Amino acid sequence: MPPLSTDNNAATSTDSYTYIAKPGLTEDVIRMISGSKNEPEWMLKKRLEALAIFYKMDMPTWGGDLSQINFDEYHYYLKPTDGEVKSWNDVPKDIKDTFDRLKIPEAERDVLSGVKAQFDSEVIYGSILTTLEKQGVIFISMDEAVKRFPDMVKQYFGRLIPSADNKFAALNTAAWSGGSFVYIPAGVEVTMPLQAYFRLNAPQAGQFERTLIIAETGSKVHYVEGCTAPAYSASSLHAAVVEIFIKPGANVQYTTVQNWYKSVYNLVTKRAYVEAEGQMTWTDCNLGSKLTMKYPAFILAGKGAKGETLSMALAGANQHLDAGSKAIHLAPYTSSSIVSKSISQKGGRASYRGLVQVNPAAHHVKSRVVCDALILDPESRSDTYPTNKIYNSSGSLEHEASVSKVSEAQLFYLMTRGLTQNEAAKTIVSGFVAPLIKKLPLEYAVEMNRLIDMEMEGSVG
Amino acid sequence: MQQIVIKKPGKYEYVLQKEGEELEILGAFQIETDTCEVQVTLIHEAPHTKGNIFLRATVSGEAKAHFSGNIIVRPTAIDTNSFLTENILLLSEKATAEAIPNLEILTNEVHCSHAATVGHIDAEQLFYLQSRGIAAEFAETMIAKGFLTAVTDKIKKDL
Repeated sequence: MPPLSTDNNAATSTDSYTYIAKPGLTEDVIRMISGSKNEPEWMLKKRLEALAIFYKMDMPTWGGDLSQINFDEYHYYLKPTDGEVKSWNDVPKDIKDTFDRLKIPEAERDVLSGVKAQFDSEVIYGSILTTLEKQGVIFISMDEAVKRFPDMVKQYFGRLIPSADNKFAALNTAAWSGGSFVYIPAGVEVTMPLQAYFRLNAPQAGQFERTLIIAETGSKVHYVEGCTAPAYSASSLHAAVVEIFIKPGANVQYTTVQNWYKSVYNLVTKRAYVEAEGQMTWTDCNLGSKLTMKYPAFILAGKGAKGETLSMALAGANQHLDAGSKAIHLAPYTSSSIVSKSISQKGGRASYRGLVQVNPAAHHVKSRVVCDALILDPESRSDTYPTNKIYNSSGSLEHEASVSKVSEAQLFYLMTRGLTQNEAAKTIVSGFVAPLIKKLPLEYAVEMNRLIDMEMEGSVG
Repeated sequence: MQQIVIKKPGKYEYVLQKEGEELEILGAFQIETDTCEVQVTLIHEAPHTKGNIFLRATVSGEAKAHFSGNIIVRPTAIDTNSFLTENILLLSEKATAEAIPNLEILTNEVHCSHAATVGHIDAEQLFYLQSRGIAAEFAETMIAKGFLTAVTDKIKKDL
């Protein structure tokens, strides 16, 4: 924030035009958000429509406990860096310790802790962006996309997740800020994962991120959001919306590593629309937050489309991670695979909640759902709530789930090989999540393993 | 192991309150018309209890199978073993199914799992029986019957 002018006139004018919105969600707040971004009229209209829907809709009555959320208490728009931690000294000690132990480079620490808004290393990432631009790839912030590519945004924004989809989608549509806009032209393969925090000139992860990915025919991209380090944020309600359009034969992988601070409500709607022979892969790792409700979905709308979800949750003390996936089969010969691994410990609760629906027109569908859960102590809880709706008889669906603890026999075996009890338990847990970690880009995989080790310390005895 | 055979659609709830109690719940359904809704809940309260829910159905015509099974393990129920299996075989094009197997586990000394499948008669199985001189229609009936036998064979004679 620029220093306030001492000039009297200027001072009074900032009084009415401060970037920190007053708590509570009103039409004025929405107008202010839209105004401060110089948005076109149509976007403001969309926001206001969504606000009206938000007021009308009821809170979901299933899933986690949402009764503590008071919408009037939250700030709905903080100008980036305002309200965030100003200096390294203000960062909580437990977060600093985590950085140390994850061995995160100094430059990244500042960004991750919210001290700095973006990377300094423009040289490296700048050259990556130039290469992408030459291929015709668009990778910019959503705010910028509204200004530079209004036609495309108008065409796709809210088409897959309309405001009325659920209360939090309405909230996001009304108050969204930040997020990415990705467009991959036909036939282009992006070989490097696009990482949300590589994006320059973009504010840090916002409360109400809005991401839109369009992969044209035969293109391929891997998008990564989040980071293994705890994302410290002053605000405690996060409701992102992600919409992905996959044209025939295109392939999109979307990887999330969520490690919000443990006071955060993380209520996210993610959906992909997959056309013929297209493929969507969600890799979803949930570690942080007080309550997460997130069910990445794919709508398999074209013949032979494929969807895959790999989901992992590690729930510790006072955490409820309610995650899963939805597979909607609309077309013939579509296939889906959902693998969920959850670990609950120290009184935490991990739930799998999922849906597989095969519509009447979708013949010869194949679907397989596997949920494995590990419970590490008697205080913790694990749930599985799958729903399978099959309206066409020619396909096959398999669902299996199992819940168990780390067995004495497994521990004993590893201990006879010279491992301590703690090392043995960690080894078993890493083996348990290995199929998922393998799918992550290398640097994330390394950090993720360290983080799981750390979170598990002293948990098995 | 104590046995309960579910013969009619409806809601069923069983609680294992005695230490070491064991219960097997079986159900085999031939669904030809309407919707057959079966909801089974098994609650483990006492330690060292064992549970096994095994439901199978064949669905023909425009009928629908709606199976939901719940296993709930309370914090007091240490050393629980519990399994839930729902298998549905769709015999006609318009037959539909919903299978909802839920688990709620509130302690860690457990072995719990569930499995649900929804499928149709495998073309290879049909072909095999036809190659042995059995007419397709009869072969289908045989496979459907055999499918349910997996449950009915477990039912103790004196019941």
